[in-house]
Amino acid sequence: MTALSPTAPSKPSPEPSSKASSKAPSRAGRPGPVAWLMRQLSRGVVQLILAVVGLLWLAPAFGLFVSSLRPDQDNASSGWWTALTNPGDLTFDNYSALLDNSGIIDSFWNTVLISVPATVTVVVVASLAGYAFAWLEFPGRDWIFLAVVGMLVVPIQVGLLPVAKMFGAVGLFGTIPGVILFHVAYGLPFAVFLLRNYFAEIPKEMLEAARTEGCSELRIFTSLVLPLGRPAIASLAIFQFLWVWNDMLVALIFADSQSQPLTVALQSEMRQFGSNIGVLAPGAFLSLIVPVTVFFAFQRHFVQGVMAGSVK
Amino acid sequence: MPATPVKAPAGPAPLPGRAGPGTTEPKDSPRRRADRRRRLVALLFLLPALLLLGALVAYPILFTVGRSLFDASGTRFVGAENYTAMFDDPATLKAIRNTAIWVLVAPALLTGLGLVLAVLTEKIRWATAFKLVLFVPMAISFLATGIIFRVVYEQDPDRGVLNAVAVGVHDAFDEGAHYPTARPKDSTVLAKGKDGSYTTKEKASPGNTVNLGLVGVPPKDLPKDAGPARKAADATAHGDELRGVVWVDFTLGGGGKPGQVDPKEKGLPQVAIEAVDAKGKAVAKTTTASDGSYHFSKLSPGDYSIRLPARTFAEPYTGVEWLGPTLITPAIIGAYMWIWTGFAMVLIAAGLAAMPRDVLEAARIDGASEWQIFRKITAPLLAPVLGVVFVTMVINVMKVFDLVYVIAPGPVQEDANVLALQMWLVSFGGGNNQGLGSALGVLLLLLVVPAMIFNIRRFRRSQS
Amino acid sequence: MTNTSTRRRAATATALTLGLALTATACGSGDDDAGSGSQELKGQTVTVAGVWTGTEQKNFQKVLDAFSEKTGAKTKFISTGDNVSTVVGSKIEGGNAPDVVMVPQPGVLKQFANKGWLQPLSTKVRDETKSNLAPVWRDYGTVDGKYYGLYFKASNKSTVWYSPDALSQAGVQPPKSWKAMLKAGKTISESGLPAFSVAGEDGWTLTDWFENVYLSQAGPEKYKQLAEHKISWTDPTVVKALSTLAELFKDKNLVAGGSKGALRTTFPESVEQVFGDNPKAGMVYEGDFVGASISGDLKKKVGTDAKFFPFPAVKGGKPPVVGGGDAAAVIKAGKHRKAGMKLLEFLATPEAAEVWAGTGGFLSPNKNVKLSAYPDDVTRQTAKSLVEAGNAVRFDMSDQAPAAFGGTKGTGEWKLLQDFLRDPSDPKATARKLEAAAAKAYKG
Repeated sequence: MTALSPTAPSKPSPEPSSKASSKAPSRAGRPGPVAWLMRQLSRGVVQLILAVVGLLWLAPAFGLFVSSLRPDQDNASSGWWTALTNPGDLTFDNYSALLDNSGIIDSFWNTVLISVPATVTVVVVASLAGYAFAWLEFPGRDWIFLAVVGMLVVPIQVGLLPVAKMFGAVGLFGTIPGVILFHVAYGLPFAVFLLRNYFAEIPKEMLEAARTEGCSELRIFTSLVLPLGRPAIASLAIFQFLWVWNDMLVALIFADSQSQPLTVALQSEMRQFGSNIGVLAPGAFLSLIVPVTVFFAFQRHFVQGVMAGSVK
Repeated sequence: MPATPVKAPAGPAPLPGRAGPGTTEPKDSPRRRADRRRRLVALLFLLPALLLLGALVAYPILFTVGRSLFDASGTRFVGAENYTAMFDDPATLKAIRNTAIWVLVAPALLTGLGLVLAVLTEKIRWATAFKLVLFVPMAISFLATGIIFRVVYEQDPDRGVLNAVAVGVHDAFDEGAHYPTARPKDSTVLAKGKDGSYTTKEKASPGNTVNLGLVGVPPKDLPKDAGPARKAADATAHGDELRGVVWVDFTLGGGGKPGQVDPKEKGLPQVAIEAVDAKGKAVAKTTTASDGSYHFSKLSPGDYSIRLPARTFAEPYTGVEWLGPTLITPAIIGAYMWIWTGFAMVLIAAGLAAMPRDVLEAARIDGASEWQIFRKITAPLLAPVLGVVFVTMVINVMKVFDLVYVIAPGPVQEDANVLALQMWLVSFGGGNNQGLGSALGVLLLLLVVPAMIFNIRRFRRSQS
Repeated sequence: MTNTSTRRRAATATALTLGLALTATACGSGDDDAGSGSQELKGQTVTVAGVWTGTEQKNFQKVLDAFSEKTGAKTKFISTGDNVSTVVGSKIEGGNAPDVVMVPQPGVLKQFANKGWLQPLSTKVRDETKSNLAPVWRDYGTVDGKYYGLYFKASNKSTVWYSPDALSQAGVQPPKSWKAMLKAGKTISESGLPAFSVAGEDGWTLTDWFENVYLSQAGPEKYKQLAEHKISWTDPTVVKALSTLAELFKDKNLVAGGSKGALRTTFPESVEQVFGDNPKAGMVYEGDFVGASISGDLKKKVGTDAKFFPFPAVKGGKPPVVGGGDAAAVIKAGKHRKAGMKLLEFLATPEAAEVWAGTGGFLSPNKNVKLSAYPDDVTRQTAKSLVEAGNAVRFDMSDQAPAAFGGTKGTGEWKLLQDFLRDPSDPKATARKLEAAAAKAYKG
């Protein structure tokens, strides 16, 4: 619903109003052409303002991108904008160096190895629970669900210490499964909440019909609820994936040097920012290429997922 | 949506038909067996979620609350000591203060900017493209954003784009100094004025030669045509002329004598120089030639001091210290806005799109001004959406961590500190005081409790 | 994170960027080179954990390979990254303990020993060290009377690096005293080049500045007491050392970019400012690893493009030698700890040290290591001054302090000395704040 292009494209408002004023020029008490000119002018101003804002938004990332294409010495001595006058100096050397940097590449794969299972697990576990909360009867259902709603805003900081101790005791600390488990647990409240609300909208009659036909609950779940819930599941999956992919805090604590994802690997290069742009800039692009691709590929679900989960 | 369930993809709907089958029919044993079976099924569906939530979310909350009552090593019960320590420790206090600034400033700014942009995008045809551009940062990690903005905020105007602009604008109005690092070796000949200018201590009269030596001029600062000063320094002044050289009183490689124009030493070209009379008025002005020589001719007899005005020595303007201790928090908030403005705008724009067009048009036909329409119709109708954006941002901002950790350089980290970061620093990042860390965790939790209650009440209302 | 490892990271930055980092699992030389050793440990795998990555890891692997060749044991090196104590701790708790750990700071060694994780060194290792190491190195490896840590790799943090060009342009000679150093600095700045590049953005470089001044001015005894926090930071000697340091910090002609510029300079940048293509300063103070940075990152030649002089004596004191190092210790919970102890016996010999010494980027505290084993004159000089200092060597104080005080970005000593660099006008107030922070950290 809150996709970038609203379902009903918002009409540019000046049009209706210009119609209105042309209908009643006497009431406006102003000569038409002047008002028209003023409107066009103000529209031009608005266009200009938004164009400037848009450029402001693009410039920082663009700057880093250009920096990532410049040799270290150039970055150390001059700003990225100087490269625009002679683009011939840009090279992909930093990127090829990055691809040869086993530390960074290993951490990139770690990011994948963390994000994908964490997303799949959350979707599976939350779908099951969401269905149970929406359509299965059991004592204390509402209270338990309220507790889940309460957990929505629990800051992950609260869990860091105790879970770290717990994982240390069972040997999960510093491992990829440990990082995944933490993400799953703290992704669940939102996921369960979202899916339960979506599943609850499935017409009751459909489920009853399936039940009277003797379908098992598992069967109803897999062949009815999951397909119907696909839009919500897609939004959830994208949101969760994005969250885990971009996470630094959890990995900073729960991953060790062998299991660290890209964010942590790059963060440790941050300390010598000035002299490490050659690694950091292409590294940043390596880390954002995946979520940005996901964004453009699944724009609609992406926006919905982000909107829905923004508070986490 | 969680805290503010207004815009779930499906829109939160009341539970359809609450009364499940079977609850009203007692004592039917096959039915009861079916009930039991159904409960078992429900349990199986729920088990994974409940186990994970119980062990990794619910239990840790209790543990943290308990742990916060013990000392750093966890062996001694200290009661509320960690909580009082929180307000004694300057670093933590600073973190609390900064978090307050974040909460007061960022959500309001974001909501306001989002509103303005949402209204403006209604007037353009390329609104979708614009929204796309502003929304993309939502896909980017805080870490990548941090890297991006470290380049933006870089202090060196040759490298940081923001300061390059600042310096460019500044220098358009103010011509740069020639020799910012030049200075007299000591204060025997020249005395430094309050404004940064240098004036000779002894007076000179027409017919005199006054040579002024400066040091600390990097060879690369010297114009290429700068020539040896020796010859001009030895020239004698005629009649009403006062002359001399301004030169670099340092022989590279050593061997030069201070105060003496040695053969290899070069003149300083383009230095502004003034003859000042007894009343302190500059009666003659000139600049030095390529061998550093200057002369004032046709001076009326009398005593003059020679002055080198401050602008020659002014430190070059190097822009704003974005990552310094005073501006660091606003700078990080700026990066944060870069990420979240798109979110606020898109949410508000959706609210605007749902606005009843006919009401607005009717108002326009009735002659209401755009401002009146905005104030009387748009704003009230939009209030719930604005509230959602605002509350969402407040909750978000309380937990801001990565961005601060990544952007703030070491020396100012403490000046940029926020609660979530301090909690991490205290418990993991070297402090290893898990008691205090837990207390900070509890404080964070308490801060979001209003949102938690808000969620629960809202949810219950939607169910009834 | 710890300052030692930051330095390490700095030294290995090139290696990482160039992607030279080897896989951690590279096992020892598989082929049984029969006849060269007794092969008594055949079939055992010794796991060693340490902070090294990149080039350092590769070079240490050579030492491990030499051990394999001698004994037949296989070796496996796990790089812990910056956080040795967390990683090793979690591995021990997880039942997957390494056999040997290379501990980068005395403070961490103490922490490990106090937790009961370490096994005291065998008699054989102890005997070997008696003739090889100055007592001070054994002291730093001893906790509560038990000798746990064998110092294998050392660093010399009392070297001031300079660009010979800058000094000859200014016509000055490498100075022998603090006063002469400031005077030379002043002359260099008069020649048009700021004298020192100070890496103020990295707090640990400032603690090193302070430690050298303090060690020389207050003497080794006081230094030891302050490191153990037996005297307070408000002690007059501390105020005096800070005032001495202020003579340098407050003079914007001596510090490139003034204090504000220095606070934006990281360690690698500070080296680049002196030895890069576009010099912005004439000298930079930091330990022997600056040499690795110069030859590695900047591709300049140590010995011609860059030289060093020992940190000069301050006001009548002796020239300080502040050192650091990595100690090998055996973990009780390790499955092959006996083989691990054998590895330590090997590491205690000059032979082991000479393997790494040949590749550069390494100093040994072992006085029987032949100086000819080092690859160049500059390294030989640093090694020589370290060994000759004998018992006067003092460990990096901030490395001995609790991490919250001496080793954490943005807080404690790092932060307070950065504040002092920003405004060096009130050494007494700084001393007071240091004491307050220290009191809290040592208590915790």
